[in-house]
Amino acid sequence: MDVEIRAITKRFGQVVAVDTVSFVIRGGEFFSLLGPSGCGKTTTLRVIGGFEHADAGEVLIAGRSMGQMPPNRRETNMVFQRLALFPHYTVFDNVAFGLRMKRLPEDDVQRRVGDALDLVQMPGLAGRRISELSGGQQQRVALARALVNRPRVLLLDEPLSSLDLKLRLQMQEELKRLQRELGTTFVYVTHDQGEALAMSDRVAVMDGGHLLQVGPPMEIYEQPRTRFVANFIGDANLIDGIVESIDGEAVMVRAGGHKVSARRQGWERSGQSVTVCVRPERVRIVAAAPGGGGAGSSGGPGDDALRARVEDRAFSGYLVKYRLAIDGLRLHAAVPYVSGTSLYQIGEDVIASWDPQQAVTVANE
Amino acid sequence: MRIRGAAVVILLAPAMAAMVVLYVIPLGVYFINSFHRFLDGRILPVWTLQTYVEYFTDSFTYKVMGTTLRLSLLVTVLSIVIGYPLAYALHTRVRSAAAKGLLALLLFSPLLVSVVVRTYGWLILLAGTGVVNTLLRGLGIIDQPLNLLFNMTGVVISLTHILLPFAIFPMYSVMSRLDLSLKEAAHDLGAGWWDTFTHVTLPLTMPGIVAGALICFTLALSAFVTPRLLGGGRVQVMPLMVYNNTVDINWPTGAVSGLVLLLMSIAAVWTLNSLLRRLPSV
Repeated sequence: MDVEIRAITKRFGQVVAVDTVSFVIRGGEFFSLLGPSGCGKTTTLRVIGGFEHADAGEVLIAGRSMGQMPPNRRETNMVFQRLALFPHYTVFDNVAFGLRMKRLPEDDVQRRVGDALDLVQMPGLAGRRISELSGGQQQRVALARALVNRPRVLLLDEPLSSLDLKLRLQMQEELKRLQRELGTTFVYVTHDQGEALAMSDRVAVMDGGHLLQVGPPMEIYEQPRTRFVANFIGDANLIDGIVESIDGEAVMVRAGGHKVSARRQGWERSGQSVTVCVRPERVRIVAAAPGGGGAGSSGGPGDDALRARVEDRAFSGYLVKYRLAIDGLRLHAAVPYVSGTSLYQIGEDVIASWDPQQAVTVANE
Repeated sequence: MRIRGAAVVILLAPAMAAMVVLYVIPLGVYFINSFHRFLDGRILPVWTLQTYVEYFTDSFTYKVMGTTLRLSLLVTVLSIVIGYPLAYALHTRVRSAAAKGLLALLLFSPLLVSVVVRTYGWLILLAGTGVVNTLLRGLGIIDQPLNLLFNMTGVVISLTHILLPFAIFPMYSVMSRLDLSLKEAAHDLGAGWWDTFTHVTLPLTMPGIVAGALICFTLALSAFVTPRLLGGGRVQVMPLMVYNNTVDINWPTGAVSGLVLLLMSIAAVWTLNSLLRRLPSV
């Protein structure tokens, strides 16, 4: 265990930025703190780095309690959101800063800075000034400046937020590669769920200072525990209702005039108000038989089938996204596009359904 | 574009007119006078370089120049050395915006009082039986009163006090534009307080220091009231000489001396400006 957070709380005046948050980060892990702005993710990161001190709780790095230890004496290095490269230094001097502070012999400094610049694929630019670099290059220098110190834990505070989409995707791959090669523990703060899912070994979702859920990306996507997590990670159809019955692995939920079922999580009680989360790509659509029965459930065994009308559709290459209206409900469906097939028309009647095993109940809060 | 051009002319006109009437024309008259000659209490309207020759061959000229430069340098260095920690404390230690505003107002409040009044204030404070000497003697630090008046010491103390706000303001303004994450980054990379200060904060606030020094130096160079009232005739600086010459109707010598002072100011501005350009912008 590289980092252990034990019930930390941090207040700024009246505002509780982080509220009794605990989690553990394993050695060599790519760990993301994910949440909307103001959720406490950056404050948590800054507490790990020693830039803020928690009002309660403690931080352990490599098993040692950090207490009030300042950043310069921790085995962590930070890549700042605004990069914070020294404008009066060249690329080389920026990267060399940490090593020179450790009073390393100049030979070692030369060699290690060279290696670090190679690592981030920036050789030959050592003599440049920071203002002469592009955004992506500055990003690489900031990474090299932190990594050259061989930290046990690298802290990254939304480092890619200032880059355009294409460069951001490229740098995501680059970061992932670096992390694999070096085996360094990365703690990555982001508000971009796609980024967190794509890069992380595990993700911690935060909101309003609280830690909502920690787990591997797939688990968080497949089994969100709360309505907020379900909504924040990926797209989700959230159907609010009341638990009507529990039958083995399935939960029957009454939502308006409809009955939908979902995989049982274990905490549901009869009569409880819950939300059913169905990912758009789990929704299947078939054309309605002409002159079929009224709206409501009338599907095959184990399936929830809802009579729906296509309200809108968007073609995006490999996917077709439909917005379906079912009286009182609205459902989004994402269907893979098979070339040569025709799309459902706006206004067309269809039957929407999903495998109950691929829908989950989430806490309705 | 034509209308905008006309607007620019109209907006600039009052300032331009003031500059021409109050500065360019008198300077021209001055310049003309420097080529005349002063003899037997009269200005002779002859065209000659004689006044320049006499001015630059007189050893007294260099003594006065030396005093002027020494005073200006001393006051500039003191203003920066005293002002930098003040600006830094205001920037880092004071958190609330209201307290910052109040302290800034306090720092700049000396500017609300006329230089003459402030200088007389120092006269009282620095006198042999004044507050400073009484306090030091009372504390047993000194036996005899210090000579703080009518010499360089008094002028330096008073002028530093007067010019301090001019040094603090540009330094504080550069500091407040400094990205705080730069200091955090230095800290993160293993630098302690001192290394962070010498490697990051000081170099990046250098433009403020240079700008503060530039303002202090040029103002000290042309300081007149303070050396006159607190120098007691023993601190002979160039503005005083220009004044004396003018009063004596020796306009040619006053003009030469004034032009030299102007050139010294321009040289200072040019030197420090070119230094400023070579510094990294924050």
